Amino acid sequence: MNDLAGKGTIITGFRNVFKVREAPILIYVVIMIAVFSFTIDRFFSMKNFEIISRQITTIGIVSVGMTLVILSGGFDLSVGAILSFAINIGGLGIVFGWPIWMVYTFMLVLGIILGWINGFLITRLAVPALIITLGTMNIYRGITMVITKGVYITPIPSVYSFIGSGYVPFLFYAAVLGIFTFVTLKTRFGRNIFAIGGAEESALYSGVPVRRYKTLVYIISGFLSALSGLILVGKSGFVQPQAGLGYELNAIAAVVIGGTSIFGGSGTIAGTFLGSVMLGIILAGLTMLAVNPYWQGLITGVLIVFAITLDSLRYLKR
Amino acid sequence: MITIEKVSKSFPGVKALDDVSFAIQYGEVHGLVGENGAGKSTLIKILSGVYPQYEGKILFDGSVHHFYSPHEAQTGGIATIFQELTVIRDLSVAENIFLGREPTRSLGLLDWNVMREKSREVLQFLDTSLDPKETVGNLSVANQQIVEICKALVLNSRIIIMDEPTSSLTEHEVDQLFITIRRLKEKGITILYVSHKIEEIFKICDSITVFRDGNHIGTVEKEKTSTDEVISMMVGRSMNMMFPPRTTRQGGLLLSVRDLSRNGEFEHVSFDLREGEIIGFAGLIGAGRTELARALFGATALDEGEIELYGNPIDHFAHPNRALSRGVAYLSEDRKGEGLMLELSIRENMSLPILKRISPYFFVKGNRERELVQSYVSKFKIRMTSVDQIVESLSGGNQQKVIISKLLLTESKVFIFDEPTRGIDVGAKYEIYKIMNDLTLEGKGIIFISSELPEVLGISDRIFCMREGKLVQEFTRDEAEPEKVMKVLAAGENLVGGDAA
Repeated sequence: MNDLAGKGTIITGFRNVFKVREAPILIYVVIMIAVFSFTIDRFFSMKNFEIISRQITTIGIVSVGMTLVILSGGFDLSVGAILSFAINIGGLGIVFGWPIWMVYTFMLVLGIILGWINGFLITRLAVPALIITLGTMNIYRGITMVITKGVYITPIPSVYSFIGSGYVPFLFYAAVLGIFTFVTLKTRFGRNIFAIGGAEESALYSGVPVRRYKTLVYIISGFLSALSGLILVGKSGFVQPQAGLGYELNAIAAVVIGGTSIFGGSGTIAGTFLGSVMLGIILAGLTMLAVNPYWQGLITGVLIVFAITLDSLRYLKR
Repeated sequence: MITIEKVSKSFPGVKALDDVSFAIQYGEVHGLVGENGAGKSTLIKILSGVYPQYEGKILFDGSVHHFYSPHEAQTGGIATIFQELTVIRDLSVAENIFLGREPTRSLGLLDWNVMREKSREVLQFLDTSLDPKETVGNLSVANQQIVEICKALVLNSRIIIMDEPTSSLTEHEVDQLFITIRRLKEKGITILYVSHKIEEIFKICDSITVFRDGNHIGTVEKEKTSTDEVISMMVGRSMNMMFPPRTTRQGGLLLSVRDLSRNGEFEHVSFDLREGEIIGFAGLIGAGRTELARALFGATALDEGEIELYGNPIDHFAHPNRALSRGVAYLSEDRKGEGLMLELSIRENMSLPILKRISPYFFVKGNRERELVQSYVSKFKIRMTSVDQIVESLSGGNQQKVIISKLLLTESKVFIFDEPTRGIDVGAKYEIYKIMNDLTLEGKGIIFISSELPEVLGISDRIFCMREGKLVQEFTRDEAEPEKVMKVLAAGENLVGGDAA
């Protein structure tokens, strides 16, 4: 058994990044690229991949936060609302003429605070996270709309565009992916997240400070939503109250397509990345095929149901 | 006459019923007794159609009946009133009584008049003043039970099975229930009365069947037997072989608690635990032992009481991680819900409580972790392919060893083991006893909670009997004879008097 374990370390090391369940998604992604490349002119081009990579960054960053939340056995429907709240309320700083670092800090702190509110309520009330964040989603969006009265902040100084230009967004995305891959696999916090999502009571009885870590997960999700907001503002060049609409659905889709269990306790950041890529490719392909945009929501929905069905089949086998 | 003929039922790893045969006469109240795990519930579930697959036959007046679903059993004349009542709280009494068999008029409309009329009839027969229109959720447990009985009567059941019917009734309500049972008997209905409580059985039953370890030990007429005889049938005498030899060795005081109380769960519990000692908590399910353990471990709050640990008074633990950091570890009775993360690996499960120790600056030191885990895996001979195997794929005994290893890694001194051998096979049980024995040799103290009397008596140095949230009596290892202990546990009232502990 000893030499088996010796050989195993390389394989398990590899597996830790791409746990077995991610392999099929990787194959789907490759197949899809191949199919679109043959059917669509200019699909297989650097230019097009650059466009896709820019498109997936904002939702991709939110999806990383969503992965942590779902791994811990929770849900966060308020990510899009937090994004919008952070950039619109934080954007008042732009209107007041604050320096950019102050505006960015303010936006990120707002994301942290809203995330903390989610975490606080979820760990104190005996109500599922899904319901609580459904409520806070509407509250956060409601406040944003009341304060902004639906008005865009535009024009904004050109310094705000740097973060959204060229490959900068993708660098941020890569950093977030790297950091949280490491966090989930190598840190005490990461281990505890899996434990809480796997069986919350078992974790509690093993001495895991469940409430503290669960709250932290929503704080991270809030922070990443706000960060994604900064990039979105950079890319679009204005701040709009409707920003982040529907992000929660796309983020959840990326997470579950990426093989993370909707019941918590198992999954990877790498899987979510592949899930995001897959959604990005599908949407880009459909756009280039000039398919009616109404199909996009439908296809995302079908993919979610399909991925969740696969997930729950594993549970039914027990 | 209902004849149960050579009925057996197996689950993976356990034979729940082993070649059981006995007969129930029509119109009698037949008591079924036995310890936890004796096979009573399995038989109930077979009779009521919940377990359609079993070996052997069940005959009514000589003809075989095999029920494949609860619905079939009900139409076949067998109604079961489970310990957990199945009434729907938001519906009315009448709606509950006719649930699933509502009388209808043309077009499928409910016939409320018939429902109310018939409900009133059966309620009157049972001599209760319940209003058919009352919402069931507003009724006491005793009255909800009446509703269940009415349901059985409307179905024209010939046999009513009652599983621990008095477990949440007051003394007065128990008397009322007995009046109801006698009335049912007068009507010619057969009752199978399943209970732990010997006194009740003797009060209400005509004959008594005793199960032990899935076997039928005997069926006796009440007039021709005594409580002592029934108790000795229940506990048996086959308990010398299965336990590692134990010599009591007591060291310094580890834990001392005084007057621990938690509202509705336990009251005024006091005991001491010394180094090298195993103290057993015997009791029936619901006696408050697990609740006590959880509060002691900091998973729930205490209402009052003082705790001394290693000779110093301490505050009650506010969180399990406080308890663990002070050297108090708890193994839950619920292995899957409160012990393990089934989808995580052996390694990840075992290192969870000590992550802080092996991860300076937040990063888990993989090598150190692997080393520690590996050492326990070999020490306890956990059967696996690698420490990265997920625990779900392990056998129950090996899963339990993973939890015990996890707790040992915390280097605790006080261990609370709550039903550590539940659902594991005999060989694995012996290994767990041996581990407990070895722990005490290292000077650790163990609080051992179990509902299986033989094992409590087999490995504890002192035995505390807990009943209805109170410690009622303490026995030393030598004093503790199974009959004596069972008598204390199964007594309906406080026979032994006083708070002996």
